Amino acid sequence: MEIEQKQNRGFLHVVKWIIPILLLSLSVCVILYNPDFQDSAFKMKSTFSTPAPYEGKSADVIEKLILKSTRNITIIEDKLNLLKPVKPYIVVNTTENRFSLRTINGDTIRTGVCSTGKNELLIAGNKRIIFKTPKGIFTVRNKQQNRPWIKPDWAFIEDGLPIPSARSAERIDYSTLGDYALEIGNGYMLHGTLYQRFLGLPVTHGCVRLGDKDLEVIYNTLSKGSKVYIY
Amino acid sequence: MKNKIAFWIITLISVILVVYISVITVIQPVFTKNTLPRAIARNLEIKDKGTKGDKDKVTKPEQNNSGDDSISASDGAGTTPNENVNKLIELRRKEILLRSRLSLANEDSTYLILDLINNTAVLELKGIPLHECKILHSEISNSFRSYSKDALLNWMSEPFILKNVEATIPKISFIEKIAPKDTLEANKMVTEPKETKLEDVFIVMDFDRNLRLVISQSELPDPEGKKIISNLRNRYHKIEISRTVKALTKFNREPVKPQIEIVIPKSDATILYKALPLYPRMILRL
Repeated sequence: MEIEQKQNRGFLHVVKWIIPILLLSLSVCVILYNPDFQDSAFKMKSTFSTPAPYEGKSADVIEKLILKSTRNITIIEDKLNLLKPVKPYIVVNTTENRFSLRTINGDTIRTGVCSTGKNELLIAGNKRIIFKTPKGIFTVRNKQQNRPWIKPDWAFIEDGLPIPSARSAERIDYSTLGDYALEIGNGYMLHGTLYQRFLGLPVTHGCVRLGDKDLEVIYNTLSKGSKVYIY
Repeated sequence: MKNKIAFWIITLISVILVVYISVITVIQPVFTKNTLPRAIARNLEIKDKGTKGDKDKVTKPEQNNSGDDSISASDGAGTTPNENVNKLIELRRKEILLRSRLSLANEDSTYLILDLINNTAVLELKGIPLHECKILHSEISNSFRSYSKDALLNWMSEPFILKNVEATIPKISFIEKIAPKDTLEANKMVTEPKETKLEDVFIVMDFDRNLRLVISQSELPDPEGKKIISNLRNRYHKIEISRTVKALTKFNREPVKPQIEIVIPKSDATILYKALPLYPRMILRL
């Protein structure tokens, strides 16, 4: 009998402790493991204090606001349309090395692979040359067929050759740029390549290299003033 | 006796904690009326060069229920049909999106449009969509659901500016190469370019107005990537815990930090992250 009473007392003792321990652990759990702890606080706030928008307001006022908003939308859309290119344009994706030629309405004419900057830092003594394709919006400044490439200094540095004088004939290369070249400023171009097998890979010194067929279509579609979007 | 004292001490601590949590989560928020941080409205008047007509003047959006076009109970009689209210909210949502797009399109940077209604993330430059990707899954914090549509619209009325970002992939990576001394060395250095494998992506972006955007990849990461991702996740989780605990110790509450987590393909996540400038802007559509 005594043993039974002792067991009962022991059981009650355990039960008595369970409640505060549970409360304590619950509190700690709420604080530490609920990522929405802050959010749940706001839930209560908004439920009680935020009125529903436009609740109980006049239909006339709402209609007036609808008209005003509709008018604003039309004006903003017009403004956005004014920003659209007036000529077909090309979008170049440097991460995937792909291009997309589009009409002024944004419809895709042609997509394909290209090669963009290899993201390389060439260190030559004190000189540091970065080979990367610039990102942003550019304009086709000039279009040329069979354009020779005037090799810059880095082309010689990279090949371990001595740098010739600025007007040296050694700098002229007739084959590298392919059949067509479209200049987009700062020496960057969209042009062809001798290394068609590398298309789709980042291998260039900053220019955008294209396959022969793609380049022909791009050359014939884009004109001076066409936009080039590079991202 | 000792046990009794210990019992009452623990019970007292528990009760104090429960009361404290109730105060922090329920009572204090109700009385302090903390709201979502409001967008700082810039001058959004759009003026056309050469034309000064009323037609081309876009009026400012209503920041709240006050101002010139505020709606008061005394305006007219009767109640508004729900469809009209919904239509107005939809129009305002569209107007805010377009207005933000226009303001960013006038700049030269690439920006992101996160459209959680159509489940798309669009990279734009000068109003031209450069890259669009489908959001496969998205999760938003509870706070979004608890706010009124109007409060959310005000909060989203301006593009968000990135304040801090952490990612498992580098934004720009350069390979350093020492220039060869002669042609012989140059020939030795020539290597065939290879297709690089995409690294596992996990990005945490903290924008102004306390918005946090988490971008996860839909593909299962490889074991190494999984470790890196879980490390970054845990670090942020720890920061959040310590933030909450710190706030609790000061009997204060940090401002609400709404979070959006989106899951997109790895390639798209890489493109978005690499294409965006260092401190990009983002337009949110909810």
